[in-house]
Amino acid sequence: MSAILLIAIPLLAAFLSILSKKVAPILLLLVGAANIILLMFMPSEVINIGGFALPFGINLFLDSYARIALYLVNGLFFIVTLLNVVEYKKLSSILLVALAALNGLLLTGDLFNLFVFLEIAGIAAYLITTTNKKPLSTFNYLVIGTVGSSLYLFGLIILYGMFGTLNMMDMIHEIQTAGVAYGSLILPFFLMFIGLGIEAKLLPFNAWVKGILKHSNTLSGPMIASVYAAAISLMFGRLIHNLFAFEGKLLTVVLILLVAGVILGEAMAFQSKKAREILLFSSISQACITVLLFVNGIIVWAVYLVIANALSKLVLYLVINRATKETKSDDVDDLQGLFANNILIGIAFTVAALSVMGLPLFVGFVVKLNYLTQLAVAGQLAIVGLILVASLVEGIYFVKLLIKLWYSKDKELNIKFDLPYKAVFAVITFLILLFGIYASPLDSLDNDIDSIQDQIGVIYHG
Amino acid sequence: MIQYAAILLMMIGLYGLLTNRNVIKIIVSLNVLEIGLNIFIISIGFVYDGIAPILTSTNNSSALIFVDPLPQALVLTAIVIGVGTTALGLAIVKSIYSKYKTLEIDEVEEQ
Repeated sequence: MSAILLIAIPLLAAFLSILSKKVAPILLLLVGAANIILLMFMPSEVINIGGFALPFGINLFLDSYARIALYLVNGLFFIVTLLNVVEYKKLSSILLVALAALNGLLLTGDLFNLFVFLEIAGIAAYLITTTNKKPLSTFNYLVIGTVGSSLYLFGLIILYGMFGTLNMMDMIHEIQTAGVAYGSLILPFFLMFIGLGIEAKLLPFNAWVKGILKHSNTLSGPMIASVYAAAISLMFGRLIHNLFAFEGKLLTVVLILLVAGVILGEAMAFQSKKAREILLFSSISQACITVLLFVNGIIVWAVYLVIANALSKLVLYLVINRATKETKSDDVDDLQGLFANNILIGIAFTVAALSVMGLPLFVGFVVKLNYLTQLAVAGQLAIVGLILVASLVEGIYFVKLLIKLWYSKDKELNIKFDLPYKAVFAVITFLILLFGIYASPLDSLDNDIDSIQDQIGVIYHG
Repeated sequence: MIQYAAILLMMIGLYGLLTNRNVIKIIVSLNVLEIGLNIFIISIGFVYDGIAPILTSTNNSSALIFVDPLPQALVLTAIVIGVGTTALGLAIVKSIYSKYKTLEIDEVEEQ
């Protein structure tokens, strides 16, 4: 069974869903579930589309890294659509296109094909954010996203002019063997980094994030902050680790940008009084930490950080956006006492928030401890110190938020969460606690999960 | 030389994006940027004295110099995506106008 089905089936279903609006939501759920099941039966392989051998055709690359990413993205996508399919059934076709594009992003081994999937995923995301009913924010997202994609394409075409290939593995091989000075690669790499950084919410390229997530709902919030963020981070990580391999002055500039992103993200979250703003600025900071780990070659723990954040942010955004829908305000003061009558929801929210903070007993702690240790071993002590300071700030604003949401002086909010919400929160809370206490399965994952370099060795050196 | 013109167009587009506060003008600027990029892509495939990369009864020797056909294929895809994005952008502009009765970002933000 070929991994190409993960792209082809959602695309076909998207076309079919246009024919019958009644069937479309059912098709969406069926395809979402089918993708997860089919993935279990797909072997790890390089698929040459059309039978053209490397580097001529477009190829898809399913290794353990892509498999983890696909399970995460398809799983989260299914949960988010399951919770929203009744309310947003008009978006079924668009969501199917988004699923195809996100799977394509994670599978493709062709850098131009990556641009195409990036644009398709972007167009689907712009349409998903129209549900926020803030057209100016969506317009800003579209303009900034398109500029980002254009910069990525500009950098890619410069690389094509230099090496004559668009295939990721062939490009990496050419860069390693052609003896080109790294200085001549700085411009294309930096253009591509900025282009993808816009999609990955990195400061200072993330002007769209505030407008979108500040007004998000139960579909757009988790979809953009959790599903899209996980897919883009993991795709970006693969490029950073294998293709960009930053060094010299470019590495210094990138590290400064990322560390500044971590600090500023936490500082902005600290001074915010709105729940959704706190979450979105926290997401920006976490995105910068993830990219920082990829830049330093700490792949396994960067992947775990993406997974832990995606699960936690899904819970946090769903709870806040569901509550905001009722209260019509996301001011922390207006949400005071939210958990007084929703103790189970409060526990799930608290566990997710404490995991993001990195407190012991939660999976976030295991991940944070390991990546900080590896950063220290790599000699990045200044970065370790700054992340610890940022964690302290993060701890303060999350504790303040939790206290407000748990305790109220004069009023208690009574917001009803449906059973599917409770079931999803229970499963995620269980996973966060399970892997926080029983961490040995996390340690046992192979450190070489990203096998592009091995594949290049097999193809070019036998 | 044509690559300088392409980069100049991209810079004009970027300048327009940064300075305009009218949503239609922003979309026009975005298109100028994309056209500049598309010309840059095409220019990468240029080969001096190269002929169109089509095998015919008269042009059937591998010794002939052809221009690189790949950037032409890429630019076609990029144009299609650009048109799609522009169409969606205009639809959102219509939505902005329906809601706020203005196309000026400053006036929308005041409301």
